[in-house]
Amino acid sequence: MDAVVPWVQGILLMIGCAFFAIGTFGLFRFTDTLTRIHALTKVDNLGLGFIALALLFSAPSLAVAMKIALIWVVALAASATSAHLVARAVRAQEQDRAATREPHD
Amino acid sequence: MRTVTAIPARMILLLLVWWVLTEGNLSGLAFGLAVVVPVAMVSVYLFPPGARRIRIVPFLLFVLFFLGRSVVAGIDVARRLLSPSLPANPGYLTFDLELPEGGPRWLLANALSLTPGTLSVTLDGARLDLHCLDTRDPVEEEVRAVERRVAGVFGLPADNWREKGGEVG
Repeated sequence: MDAVVPWVQGILLMIGCAFFAIGTFGLFRFTDTLTRIHALTKVDNLGLGFIALALLFSAPSLAVAMKIALIWVVALAASATSAHLVARAVRAQEQDRAATREPHD
Repeated sequence: MRTVTAIPARMILLLLVWWVLTEGNLSGLAFGLAVVVPVAMVSVYLFPPGARRIRIVPFLLFVLFFLGRSVVAGIDVARRLLSPSLPANPGYLTFDLELPEGGPRWLLANALSLTPGTLSVTLDGARLDLHCLDTRDPVEEEVRAVERRVAGVFGLPADNWREKGGEVG
């Protein structure tokens, strides 16, 4: 059983890193801000989740395990909030542009 | 009355967070207490306890549901990114929420930012603007599914707000 744990951890860490890589890849493949946010928030959240899950196996105490989980929860909340703020700013900018363009055209 | 019970409840929660942050080391407890007490009091002033209580069992079910959906969301975006044709049809969709304002709408908007294909853009009263990665996806069903569960978390009766949502099927 003990011999299996490092392997499981290694696989989970690699899956986590793969998701981070894909999320960053999305930054290049998608061309507008909002779809990029979709890639970054959702995929990176999963990447961090897998890494946190892998580290849970080697947590020396319950408090440390909860700390790892807390880091993920806080990062999740920060990612949802900042995604929303950036999206709202983009929307406001688009509406501003549309409003200033119309009278001139 | 709500405020009186909220302070000790928040203090216990904050102490638990402190215990987690210090990794169970008791030597920092005095400092932790000195911080926790004023923070709990200020938090009640800044964020007055809502009129609605969170139901524990529906909340835990919501957390599980949310975790499942966020995994699906991550895989969904990753799949699109890795596909050579980059399937996406982004656009805005607007929904009229049937949840009451405050905590329930806030929880819904934030949860939707991490569920498949949706990103909360603006929440103006009961109007929620979503940016969707693919407007051909069944976004409406997703929104209503999350909304139904958020209603459960706050113990809102299902028939109270589902009457208008009937056309969703």
